[in-house]
Amino acid sequence: MSTAACFAGVLGGVSLSGAAAVAAVPTRVSAAASGLATAAVGVTGLVGGALAVAGDLRPAWVGWLVPLSGASFAADATSGLFLLVIGAVSVVAGLYTVGYAAHGHLGRAPLAVLPVFAGAMLVVPLAAAVTTLLLFWEIMALTSLLLVLAEWRREQVRAAALSYAAMTQLGFVAILLGLVVFAAAAPGHAETFPALRDAAVHLGPGPRAAVFLLTLAGFGSKAGLVPLHVWLPKAHPEAPGPVSALMSAAMVNLGIYGIVRVDFVLLGPGPRWWGLVLLAVGALTAVYSVLQAAVATDLKRLLAYSTSENMGLICVALGTAAVLAAAGRPAVAAVATTAALVHLVGHAAFKTLGFLAAGGVAAVTGQRDLDALGGLARPMPVTTVAFGIAALGAAGLPLGCGFVGEWLLVQALTHAVAAGGTLLALVVPLAVGVVALTTGLGVAAMVKAFGVGFLARPRSEGAQRAGEVPATMIAAMALGAISCGVLAVAPAVLVPVLSRVLPELPTGTAHGPGPALGTLVRLPGVGGSVSPALLAVAVGAGVLLALAAARWGSRRRPAARTAALWTCGGGGLTSRMEYTATSFADPLRRVFDAVLRPDVEHVVIAYAQSPYLLEKVSYRSWVHDTVEVVLYRPVLRAVAAAARGARRAHTGSIHAYLAYGAAGLLVALVVVL
Amino acid sequence: MSSHTYTSLLYLASGVLLLSAVGIVWGRPLRVAVRLLAAQGAALAAIPVLGGAYRHDWYLLGVGLAVCVLRAAVLPGLLARLVPPPVGLTDPREQTGAGERHETGPLLGTSASLMVTAGAVVLAYAVGQPLVALDPSPSTRAAPVALAVVLMGVLLLVTRRRAVSQIVAFLTLDNGIAAVAFLLTSGVPLVVELGASLDLLLFVLVTQVLTARMRVKFGGTDLGELQELHE
Repeated sequence: MSTAACFAGVLGGVSLSGAAAVAAVPTRVSAAASGLATAAVGVTGLVGGALAVAGDLRPAWVGWLVPLSGASFAADATSGLFLLVIGAVSVVAGLYTVGYAAHGHLGRAPLAVLPVFAGAMLVVPLAAAVTTLLLFWEIMALTSLLLVLAEWRREQVRAAALSYAAMTQLGFVAILLGLVVFAAAAPGHAETFPALRDAAVHLGPGPRAAVFLLTLAGFGSKAGLVPLHVWLPKAHPEAPGPVSALMSAAMVNLGIYGIVRVDFVLLGPGPRWWGLVLLAVGALTAVYSVLQAAVATDLKRLLAYSTSENMGLICVALGTAAVLAAAGRPAVAAVATTAALVHLVGHAAFKTLGFLAAGGVAAVTGQRDLDALGGLARPMPVTTVAFGIAALGAAGLPLGCGFVGEWLLVQALTHAVAAGGTLLALVVPLAVGVVALTTGLGVAAMVKAFGVGFLARPRSEGAQRAGEVPATMIAAMALGAISCGVLAVAPAVLVPVLSRVLPELPTGTAHGPGPALGTLVRLPGVGGSVSPALLAVAVGAGVLLALAAARWGSRRRPAARTAALWTCGGGGLTSRMEYTATSFADPLRRVFDAVLRPDVEHVVIAYAQSPYLLEKVSYRSWVHDTVEVVLYRPVLRAVAAAARGARRAHTGSIHAYLAYGAAGLLVALVVVL
Repeated sequence: MSSHTYTSLLYLASGVLLLSAVGIVWGRPLRVAVRLLAAQGAALAAIPVLGGAYRHDWYLLGVGLAVCVLRAAVLPGLLARLVPPPVGLTDPREQTGAGERHETGPLLGTSASLMVTAGAVVLAYAVGQPLVALDPSPSTRAAPVALAVVLMGVLLLVTRRRAVSQIVAFLTLDNGIAAVAFLLTSGVPLVVELGASLDLLLFVLVTQVLTARMRVKFGGTDLGELQELHE
């Protein structure tokens, strides 16, 4: 039995020696070194996760690591679950980096930072004190910022990084304030998690609510919850492929981890309105983000919005669990908690795969615009299949790995009505509607991404020149696809982990039995069961049956002839006749016009000789992030105005600045003494 | 040393400290300001030396001697090299820094500066009372004097134009801060004092180079003319 601190030390050692190795080796092999180092960090994380779930990591305190407070590490099964998820994503992303970066897409500095980023993410769930958590949280944020800036020569990358830096620092400040208020209530201002847990009962309702709201805002901004999500659809797409995967499939999970750890385990169980707030925020996030995903035309931006959507769904599940636990229905609350955790794992699997496939497409074609892609199925068959599997998972359809989580969530919600109370009777049907709408729009978004992006004919030169990605990238995507498949048909693989995580959570199985995730997913206390494995067998059998029947039916059909396609006399089919991402999403854009508020530029130029003969028609439309336009722009304008006012005080005269300092000193002297 | 002698000598040192600061505020010639700074450094060094002699604390005596060497000899010596020698002593053709011997056109006139200085001393006594009340003793009673020197250093920083005057002002400010530390506590740890002294030495060395560069580049060291450099 080793300590959590030992394990954190091993993680740090592996990450830092990986970074040093990348810096030391020749440029030729630096990509391989970075990828393998990241994968090694991931493997370490997986081992640690397994140990943590088994309860084999003792808590420990390392005095010299952080001045004054020292660093505390501990690992329970909840930490273990997150370690396993992040470790698995790191392994896959690391393997992928070997091939991706060898194309020359990544400089040496980002390659060196990559293993450190993975390591920092893995230490965050191990932190067992406020200072330790904040320290590694900040290392994680800074290293991810450096990775987002990998292609800093492009203007959009710099803008995205700026937005990310501002939001992540604001989030950090919110977390810091929340935890400081929390720790102030602990006896002797102790800041370790066990002390905080004991202090939670002494916290008055006012400070308790403040801690909840501040930490929810801080951790929620990392998880991309509306309205703090604005950085996510900018930064995640602009990062290089493997970094997008790490951020979108691993880092956002830590936002959820923070909410679970601080608000559920340490501070909770809270009053009912906490659950309702989580539910409302999650529902808003899910619907808004999936709508943005449905109308997005940038492949990686679509995936980033989908990340936000799935975090919203997880938040809905957590909120439902909290509400139900407060209403005295522990069995159904356990189902909702299980839904959140299963969906979190499933999302990590399909989002890794999705971003790896999209990163491959972007690297090979130089394009991320769906309107300029298409026709990739033939030149990039493996990538296409991989993205298809990821899209199936993201759509939340059966046989996709997002299905089990969403099904559990709907089950929990439909059985929550009986929990009683007028409010629940109003809220729960709304939440069911939100989940249904989200799933429906998610299907549309994923059909668009897959159909328009990969099928049909190429719409740009880049897409025409496409070829399959290198073998290491294929191997990474294969690993991701296998995980997706296993999670989709056999969620039972999660049982050993979840059976230890759920009893640790106040909304889990601490007070009642949890759902059984065997071949048949059974729910105790509620009459519902589903079997993804049998479903897969049935679908497979159905497909085979249909194929056999078709073959049998075609016995007597005459042999096929090859002939020119009838095109209404308009010549051959061209890519201009295809559905584009914009045209596919246009009906949705019209329906949700009031929310999306697209800018449309429609120019019709007629010939001078006759107004009825048109020379040119041009049509452009942009969909902005409405939340950003409505909420952020006014704030930014006010800040800019204040800054202009402050600039008047900056005359450039040294004596003026010294006089300001002197005035400050005098005021301080007079006021304080 | 009797308690009475110690108190008298301590107050004498504090008085010299304050008077030298007033002298710097009053005087225009930079050479005079540098000499007064040396006197101020010696007065400052006298505080720990007296304390050490009175309490037979050899360690404090050592600190005082180190302070004396640095602030009464080394730093003023370095500064003096920045001030051009008086007219007549050098070849007129080598007079690059003509007009650098005096503080020209300070932002506040001499009489107004002295009025403000008087105000600063009153303010220092007013705000220093709670500090004295913490632990009334002969040395803490002199702390407001040191506070007044700090305020005068700030005043000099704000109103003087020449680079050398700025350095003198900064050193006055730092002498004041060191004096507050010596008077309020019974001695600063050697590490802290060494660190602060090293900082100070580096500051003067760097600004010395900077001043010489300014003189070569702009022909003078009037900080008011640097306004155009902003942004």
